[in-house]
Amino acid sequence: MSTGSDRRSSTSRNPLRRKTVAMRPWDWSFPSAPVSHREVISAQPAEPTGRPPLLMVHGLAHAAWCFGENWVPAAAEAGFPAYAVSLRGHGGSAGARHLRRTTTRDYVHDVLQTITELPEPPVLIGHSNGAVVAQLVAERYPLRGLVLLTPAPMHSAVGDLVAIGKDRPADLLRAVVGQTLSMEPDILFEGLDPQTARTYSDRTGPESPLVQWELLLRRRVGPIRCPVLVVGTPEDRLVRPADVQRTADTYGVEPVWFPGMGHDVMLDAGWEQVLDTVLAFAADLPAWGSAPVR
Amino acid sequence: MGAGPHGLSALKALLQNGIEADGFERESDVGGNWNFGAENSRVYESTHLISSKPFTQFPDFPMPDSYPDYPSHRQVKEYFERYAAHFGLRDRIRFSSDVVRAVPVDEGRAWDVTVADRVTAQETTYRYAGLVVGNGHNWNPKIPDYAGRSEFRGEVIHSADYKGPEVLRGKRVLVVGAGNTGCDVAVEAAQNATHAWHSTRRGYYYNPKYMTGRPSDQVADSLLALRLPLGLRRVLFKASLGIAVGDLTKFGLKRPDHKFFETHPIVNQQLVYYVGQGDITPKDDIDRFDADGVVFTDGSRVDVDLVVFCTGYLVRFPFLEQDWLNWKDDHPQLFLQMFTPSFDNLVVSGLIQPDSGQWTLAHWQGILIARVAEALRVRPSVAHGFLSRSAAEADRRYSAGAHYKDSTRHYFEVAHQDYLRALQDAIHELEVSA
Ligand SMILES: Cc1cc2nc3c(=O)[nH]c(=O)nc-3n(C[C@H](O)[C@H](O)[C@H](O)COP(=O)(O)OP(=O)(O)OC[C@H]3O[C@@H](n4cnc5c(N)ncnc54)[C@H](O)[C@@H]3O)c2cc1C
Ligand SMILES: NC(=O)c1ccc[n+]([C@@H]2O[C@H](COP(=O)([O-])OP(=O)(O)OC[C@H]3O[C@@H](n4cnc5c(N)ncnc54)[C@H](OP(=O)(O)O)[C@@H]3O)[C@@H](O)[C@H]2O)c1
Repeated sequence: MSTGSDRRSSTSRNPLRRKTVAMRPWDWSFPSAPVSHREVISAQPAEPTGRPPLLMVHGLAHAAWCFGENWVPAAAEAGFPAYAVSLRGHGGSAGARHLRRTTTRDYVHDVLQTITELPEPPVLIGHSNGAVVAQLVAERYPLRGLVLLTPAPMHSAVGDLVAIGKDRPADLLRAVVGQTLSMEPDILFEGLDPQTARTYSDRTGPESPLVQWELLLRRRVGPIRCPVLVVGTPEDRLVRPADVQRTADTYGVEPVWFPGMGHDVMLDAGWEQVLDTVLAFAADLPAWGSAPVR
Repeated sequence: MGAGPHGLSALKALLQNGIEADGFERESDVGGNWNFGAENSRVYESTHLISSKPFTQFPDFPMPDSYPDYPSHRQVKEYFERYAAHFGLRDRIRFSSDVVRAVPVDEGRAWDVTVADRVTAQETTYRYAGLVVGNGHNWNPKIPDYAGRSEFRGEVIHSADYKGPEVLRGKRVLVVGAGNTGCDVAVEAAQNATHAWHSTRRGYYYNPKYMTGRPSDQVADSLLALRLPLGLRRVLFKASLGIAVGDLTKFGLKRPDHKFFETHPIVNQQLVYYVGQGDITPKDDIDRFDADGVVFTDGSRVDVDLVVFCTGYLVRFPFLEQDWLNWKDDHPQLFLQMFTPSFDNLVVSGLIQPDSGQWTLAHWQGILIARVAEALRVRPSVAHGFLSRSAAEADRRYSAGAHYKDSTRHYFEVAHQDYLRALQDAIHELEVSA
């Protein structure tokens, strides 16, 4: 495991970073449709600890359960109010019927809505495509901190798709025609016993084809002013380590690597170490509103 | 100072960027205009937003999905309470604290702010490096004067004191002015009074709340997103109103004396309906009062029991010298409607009246204030370079090409997209040089 957490990227000189966006005419004219119900799995510390709340956002085809399984209770145990949300059309949230028309913008809306229900600004934790959503949230909302777990690249996932195609051409073809990317156990996990891995894999559901295709776009983000932590694994079969590195470069930080783990770092054997790293990052953040002027 | 939406968002932006700040609010709660019943609140029982959620809300704190397109003033108040709680602003605001005086000291490098506690009446003076003013501009009633007004034996109120329809019941009511307040009060008079007359000094366009099943401001924003020019947008809006309602003069309403987007938009579907039902009689401008009623400029006359002036508000800063705000023509002229040429550390937030929702603009004004404050601290030359334009650009308007009708209420009118783009550019200017 290697660390390195230069808190903030220094400038907007990085080509992937962009200037503040105040003009969002399409968001004003075609806002995301409201959702009637959102599933939020949460756990609170036994007594108030003053630690920031953690909000966890899942990736493609997953739902809040993937964090609810281990991370939410363990984080609360460690003194952090912990929340995991199911994006629309996933898990226990409404919107399954409209899943095929759902876009990343809708997910951003869902996460912002969930944030406004929290008592104070959270640390946002996004996994895989949830990390894309989290970065788009972070450019709109003043987070305490941002954690990107095996983040799908904002600079286009074409490379990852090509890599998937070399290994598993049928999976690539399915994704191209709009079916959900394969979430077979061997793709997500390295260290789990086969039965648990199978159980988790079976819990994944369908994904919006539009959201999958959007991953091919090259997006620029920013500015993101909160501290950022990036987590990757060298064995990841969905997001190439080079892409994790590039995401980290965007923020001027070094990724923290967890060799021997699969893409789903919050479920795979060894999730405790990853969570420890995340909690150490979160515990160390300056209180909201007290950060020094840069 | 002020814990309405503009004061709150400025306080939040400063704290978010690590700049120490305190808030002072005269009332015991946040919400400003939306704190129903408070001294400076101008909403009445039935007030709902006329701008729909997406542009009205703070972009980093959207209104809940459970809110309707056009929330009520109670929901809006609750929204501001949640915003203040979420960002920990309450602890930073001193409530029941009336700012009575603010004076520059140390050659303008600091401000002495004198605050009167509303409970104990005790005055305390605090010193700050900068002052952000968010006292609102919709509280000080504008009441026109007319010949014979002192002879009139009926009742006269301003909409500032209008809280609900009880005062209208069983009376012959004349409503003056066709801002959004005047139109709402005329409709409530149609529903509650014996009869309603509505005096306006010009004709207007009455926009619906919905078009093609969507809030009409969202339809308007789609046209802007497509970057359609002003002329074409005018044609489209006129055509859609033409189909939905048609020629207003057939109802006895005046023909508008101006083009679309030249007056602050009215959003009211009911007024035309009640005129059509005969419950509201449109009238000309008032010429004079007599003992029992009012004579209009067309020579007609009616007996009335109650006159409600919905003639809007005049901007005032009772705790500041007007000169410090580049006061001309009975209002301040400020760079980006915010910055005065007189001081680098005095900013006004909220001196805008957008043709759409307001709190997206409040948010970005707050962010700009924080960027300027940061720059003043760590890169004074950048800040001064930016602020040096205050004098030259003080009279720049953000009307997207429209010529607003000459009226006190248009001093602060802005086309929301035009103004926001200017704020965005200003933020970029300070970010790039950061
Ligand atoms: C009837 C009505 C309906 C409206 N509807 C809409 C709408 O649909 N959509 C929309 O976007 N906008 C609407 N507006 C505009 C609305 O006024 C603004 O959106 C917003 O409330 C202005 O915020 P502000 O913070 O500038 O001022 P305010 O909300 O007026 O807040 C100013 C605050 O400063 C405090 N204060 C003033 N003087 C002092 C002092 N000396 N010391 C201490 N505290 C002081 C006041 O008590 C108050 O709390 C409406 C306005 C009115 C009057
Ligand atoms: N959400 C809501 O439901 C709601 C409700 C009410 C108000 N508002 C908002 O609150 C703000 C204030 O609105 P408002 O309606 O109180 O005031 P306003 O917009 O200033 O309207 C004042 C009206 O009175 C007229 N007037 C002004 N001076 C006059 C004079 N000397 N003689 C005759 N007529 C005169 C104006 O005519 P001119 O056309 O000549 O200027 C205008 O029609 C606006 O931003 C408005 O949109 C919102």
